[in-house]
Amino acid sequence: MSDLFFLPDLASAAAQLPWYALLLLAAALAGEAVQRWLRLPRLLGWIAVGAALGPHALGALDEDALEVLRPLLDFAVGMVLFELGQRVDLSWLRRNPWLLATSVLESGFAFGAMFVVLLAVDAPPLIAAAAAAIGISTAPAVVLTVTRELRAQGQVAERAMLLTALNSAYAFVAVSVLLAWLAREYSGDWRAVLLHPLYLIFGSTVLAALFAAATLALLRLLGRRHDAQFLCVVALVALAVWASATLNLSVALALLAFGAITRIYDRRRLFVSLEFGRLGRILLILLFAITAAKLEWGLVPAGAAAGGVLVAARFAGKALGVFALAPASGLPLRKASLLALALTPMSGLAIVLMHDTARLYPQFGPALAAIVVSAIAMLELLGPLLTHFALTRAGEADEARS
Amino acid sequence: MQPLEFRKSAPLTMGVELELQLVHARDCDLTRAASDLLSQVAKRRHPGEIKPEITESMIEVSTGIHSRYAPLRAELQQLRDTLLEVAAQLNVGVAGGGAHPFQHWSERRIMDAPRMKHVSQLYGYLAKQFTVFGQHVHLGCPDGDDALYLLHAVSRYIPHLIALSAASPYYQGVDTAFESSRLNAVFAFPLSGRAPFVQTWDEFNAYFGRLRGAGIVESMKDFYWDIRPKPEFGTIEIRVCDTPLTVERAAALAAYAQALARWLLVERPHRISEDLYLAYTYNRFQACRFGLGGEFVDPVAGTRRGIGEEVLATLEALAAHARELDSEAALGEIEAIVRQGNDARWMRERYADSGSLPDLVWRQVERLRAGR
Repeated sequence: MSDLFFLPDLASAAAQLPWYALLLLAAALAGEAVQRWLRLPRLLGWIAVGAALGPHALGALDEDALEVLRPLLDFAVGMVLFELGQRVDLSWLRRNPWLLATSVLESGFAFGAMFVVLLAVDAPPLIAAAAAAIGISTAPAVVLTVTRELRAQGQVAERAMLLTALNSAYAFVAVSVLLAWLAREYSGDWRAVLLHPLYLIFGSTVLAALFAAATLALLRLLGRRHDAQFLCVVALVALAVWASATLNLSVALALLAFGAITRIYDRRRLFVSLEFGRLGRILLILLFAITAAKLEWGLVPAGAAAGGVLVAARFAGKALGVFALAPASGLPLRKASLLALALTPMSGLAIVLMHDTARLYPQFGPALAAIVVSAIAMLELLGPLLTHFALTRAGEADEARS
Repeated sequence: MQPLEFRKSAPLTMGVELELQLVHARDCDLTRAASDLLSQVAKRRHPGEIKPEITESMIEVSTGIHSRYAPLRAELQQLRDTLLEVAAQLNVGVAGGGAHPFQHWSERRIMDAPRMKHVSQLYGYLAKQFTVFGQHVHLGCPDGDDALYLLHAVSRYIPHLIALSAASPYYQGVDTAFESSRLNAVFAFPLSGRAPFVQTWDEFNAYFGRLRGAGIVESMKDFYWDIRPKPEFGTIEIRVCDTPLTVERAAALAAYAQALARWLLVERPHRISEDLYLAYTYNRFQACRFGLGGEFVDPVAGTRRGIGEEVLATLEALAAHARELDSEAALGEIEAIVRQGNDARWMRERYADSGSLPDLVWRQVERLRAGR
């Protein structure tokens, strides 16, 4: 794997290798145990192991050890978003516009509900808005991993992935706009507030289009060779993550758009149904474990009550949005309620975003941090369980393999 | 035990059942979508029936009873339009064709209904491998004896219907070299092939009674014959056709069978005897393997010629009957299939063009929608 440039410099990381090995080993065992004996998604095992080994618990992995893996995790996130983007079918939205309306409603209601709760616990309005915007996003990695593990197919699975892609895009735009706004409170420059979101949206889309064009050109050259396709896509996703980060664009938006545009213009279906396979699995294990490791579980008791209210408000908002247009969009109410449950997981990126926000803006006091952290912690465990439950209950899981 | 009662129906009426493939809009593989589609179809008014089939990736549409080609065709189009409207809303592709070109049978899931579960338990992997898609044509008969006469007379023409409808050259990701690979999946079942040579309904009941007494079958559903009597409808059911790529072609095939039946009943051109079956499996193999280019051996006359030529010659004999049945347009379409190639040929050409089986599947989806 040494010719993969996105890997960290192993010489400096070699001292940590045993810990990474331990992490993978423990995660693999815990994942299988959870699957075999509890019949629950493996990723709960990965999360548990990460949380246990992390700096806030046993401390086998310290902050430095986590930081070394950062580029790898950035790539993993990019990979997940690219794959999710590929599942966004714009022609479906055109044929069934109620789906787009559903995504706007569920995101809007969830935002509104969380905003109100945060205001009620005395968060400054802008900070409350930023935190609520973070919460709009359903975790792409969780929805993809659970769906794939169950081999789920059907309206709940398809719509969960579509709505996740859309609400993640909204969330990242909203968070960027709000952070720009917060920045203005310090700098007093209004131009940034207007230009920043425009730069993010257009810049990310243009970048995505360029990468999509490059990918499709390469695919035409390679034909339907699965191995070669796989290597090219891994390389281009890594490059796209690097390019969007370097240009201060939104990695999430750019990678989602990269996936979506690649699919739209793949008119001759050159893409052999692409999956990131074993490499993807290792990266996902690391992603879930390390995200859980970073979480400050110690803050949970302090913020549990208000965090619980926040979680409930978010769920109520999403459920209302999904229910409102279910009949119009062709979804029976039973499946609509399961879809609302499936959208519960909160993005692990929320943790990163929250840390960034808290570092930049001191008004984000410890009380508020505790509330947000406990909400994230609750959803970290509850989210995958609910998605798993929803897909199984909807009868969309492949029984033989679930 | 009750003998089977053959309910009489108006002679030369017809009905069509089509099994259609449900495919994923992204990867074009079969997808489990039947329940989702049916829950939405239930809210719409449509003629005929739209029903679940053995797996979640299959759906069946069936028409009412028709005596004329034009209304049958119109009803099939309405059924298709209803189904495609819902499928568009749910982002599911619906395609014709006798088999999915690259699905893997082990991935299929059996529908959650007692009969389906029973079939799956009894036949094991055969049940899942049986994820193939056929067109069934019902022809009305006034009584059981006439039904058996028609069954044996039509059996000589089974290779025509196989070659005209063949639309399953690809199976499990490979070119099978067959034009209809679907029928090979049917032959694996113990009670497949031709019906026994019995000529009266009483004899048939005696035969059925013995098999039932021996515990081999419980109902007519346990027979997977190419043509079987359907006593509760008062019809014979021709089951050899692959689902064509368009419902329009399905209607034309039904009209061809109807005209054939009228000719056979009115002019009685063949003396019914076991001899008719002498070359049955050979001719059927030729039709599955080579389609319209296959060879047809007439066991009674001792002649041989191409199946395509045979169809053209038969069309001449049917012309007067087609006039009586208002189905000349349909027979024109049948002639066009012989001259321009069947669906299997179209599929091979599309694949040669793109080199992508998913792409081929999506073109099948588009072709069903366009009707051409």
